[in-house]
Amino acid sequence: MTASSPNPAEQEFVDQVIARHQGRPGALLGILEEVQGRHPNKYLPLEVLDYIATKTGTPWAQVYSVATFYALFNLEPQGRHTVCICRGTACHTRGSRNLLERLKLELGLRSDGEEGSADKLSLTTADRRFTVRTVACFGQCALAPVVEVNHSIFGHVNEQSLQREIEAIRHEGGK
Amino acid sequence: MRIQDIGGFNEVREAGLAKYVPARPRIAIGMGTCGTGNGAEGVYHAFADEINRRGMDAQLAPVGCFGFCAREPLVNVWHPGRPLVILQRVQANDVNRILDDLEALRPTQDLAQCKIEDWDHFTAHIRFGAGYPEIPNWHEVPFFKGQKKIVLRNCGLVNPDDLEEYVAVGGYQALYKVLIDNRPDVVIEQIKAAKLRGRGGAGYLTGIKWEFLRKAEADCKYIICNADEGDPGAYMNRNEIEGDPHSLLEGMIIGGFVMGASEGIIYVRAEYPLAVHRLHRAVEQATEYGLLGENILGRGFDFNIQLVEGAGAFVCGEETALIASLEGKAGRPWPRPPYPAKKGLYGKPTNINNVETWCNIAPIVSKGPAWFTQTGSPKSSGTKVFSLVGKVTNTGLVEMPLGTPLKTFVYDIGEGGLNGRQVKAVQTGGPSGGCIPQDMFDTPVDYESLAQLGSIMGSGGMVVMDEDNCMVDVARYFIEFTHSESCGKCVPCRVGLDKGLRMLNAFTNGSAPLASLESLDELGRMIRDTSLCGLGQSAPNPVLTTMRHFRHEFEITSGPGAAARECARTWPFRPAKTVARCT
Repeated sequence: MTASSPNPAEQEFVDQVIARHQGRPGALLGILEEVQGRHPNKYLPLEVLDYIATKTGTPWAQVYSVATFYALFNLEPQGRHTVCICRGTACHTRGSRNLLERLKLELGLRSDGEEGSADKLSLTTADRRFTVRTVACFGQCALAPVVEVNHSIFGHVNEQSLQREIEAIRHEGGK
Repeated sequence: MRIQDIGGFNEVREAGLAKYVPARPRIAIGMGTCGTGNGAEGVYHAFADEINRRGMDAQLAPVGCFGFCAREPLVNVWHPGRPLVILQRVQANDVNRILDDLEALRPTQDLAQCKIEDWDHFTAHIRFGAGYPEIPNWHEVPFFKGQKKIVLRNCGLVNPDDLEEYVAVGGYQALYKVLIDNRPDVVIEQIKAAKLRGRGGAGYLTGIKWEFLRKAEADCKYIICNADEGDPGAYMNRNEIEGDPHSLLEGMIIGGFVMGASEGIIYVRAEYPLAVHRLHRAVEQATEYGLLGENILGRGFDFNIQLVEGAGAFVCGEETALIASLEGKAGRPWPRPPYPAKKGLYGKPTNINNVETWCNIAPIVSKGPAWFTQTGSPKSSGTKVFSLVGKVTNTGLVEMPLGTPLKTFVYDIGEGGLNGRQVKAVQTGGPSGGCIPQDMFDTPVDYESLAQLGSIMGSGGMVVMDEDNCMVDVARYFIEFTHSESCGKCVPCRVGLDKGLRMLNAFTNGSAPLASLESLDELGRMIRDTSLCGLGQSAPNPVLTTMRHFRHEFEITSGPGAAARECARTWPFRPAKTVARCT
């Protein structure tokens, strides 16, 4: 890899995380989860992946394979606010696709690829203010349809209430 | 403090009882994710502030969910000598009058859902008290009628963050008994005689699986709890962990001792932050009390449990993929044999069971296999927890004896379709299961009967569909899901599902020629018969069952003049004429 190295502070943090996890089952997942969680843009830059591979003695291809296999990991910077729409069965039967379409329209986002293939979506607005994601299921099915806005769960959402949430974020400190 | 003998055990039990049924009123707030999503935290703080302001002598505790998720926030109020009353849809501004009523020894009738006079935790029996004839008993409420809470015995009642309360209702007694008796083979015989079957979906006999691992010889063996509940529409495991994490731990520690394993791993979804948090707490507490770690209960047995958070891959529910994931690889399955019991995590013998399977262990050990087989059907004993969701009036978690007919779930417990609409089908088993039409609702819900209809029990998701739901769209939805979750290792699943999705897309936008029904059927069977793992083998089920039971819906959406274009675009809220014709 030709990516540049992470800065010393970042390196120190990653070293600590690795020390905590190494040698235990599920170590690589744990390391990637923790490192991504601390990044201000909630993603794993390539140089960080490279550094983790070197430090843990894991083949670079395997680290990249894991980082791209699991839905939780992002290789692109995420928006400051995340809106996550549940695409579980209960939410689907209660209209979550319409919510997703509406939200994309509202934020001016378009997904590439075929129409309707809304699987594992993650889209960020150009100003990096909003990221729209989908999740397979939050396990909040009794509250369907469910939307998570900045890690708070909202149940029985409809297009109006979703729009109100978005407006509220937009008016918050002009961010 | 570490529990080393029966004296220490009883001390912890007494301390727990003093909190669970104290000499003063107790108020417990349902703080599962379903509760907090409905404002339970605000209610909790309102109670805390008001109790403080009044200088009232009352116990306040968070608990998990009692099951009726649609009526959250739920609050249990109890006065010594009186029944426990479960209040529903409690808001912060109700707090004052609830406390007034509690002090005046009367129930808050307009909020009351039901009362509990006695509760059988199966590992213990608690008598709350009698009275309040105007409030229905819990099992008289339609939603709870017929339910038998073995797995959910403590959920919504006991504080999940407090090991002492778990011990108060008989927790860790089964473990104590197993360690004192020191006869692992007898325990395995008990599990076998109880005919406990894996609750993750496949329904393999747990006792047999345990025996395999017990007999395997190795310097190190692992046991794993599969809490990677990825089925969309199912959340039993989340509630089981959030409401009663110690029940899972106890099952695993017993399993570890009996199978000769010293390491336990819980692989839990990262999408369930509260469940992860509660498990961390529970493991810490169990270690502190000497129920985990070295020399458990002073009996010379060492066992540790680690938590690993999954990172959002449905295929990791498949046991070999889960193991690959734990080994720091992408979650891709391998062909069995070798089975994990022979060669699992890091090449060592490994046992994997679902959360609910583990939660059944302690009651079976306490009450014996004969008691367990009294519930359920001859081939499938015990109960199963289902998440009853979708277009049904009452949604929530339901624990019913296996073999209960489907109609009981939909019409008695669920009280029929939403807003009086006609129920059309029930989808069981998530993306691996199938749709069962309304005219087959007499089917008993057990492993064999559902398989006969082309569906599966799965982990217990039950999604109700009504006349507004287009079954072709439902089939397409599931293929879209498995298509995106396919790990890509084997060709039938990777390429077949992609092809299948394209064909179903053609159906939903009305461009499919009628002949593709046959091709779709053939493709489905091919994927089912030739895929490497459970994901691919079961992925065509939703399509094959909808084609079998709702063929007419495919027919009107295909062929010349197909009118389905609209139903693809307007579904599901604005049923076009075409959708109405589907029913």
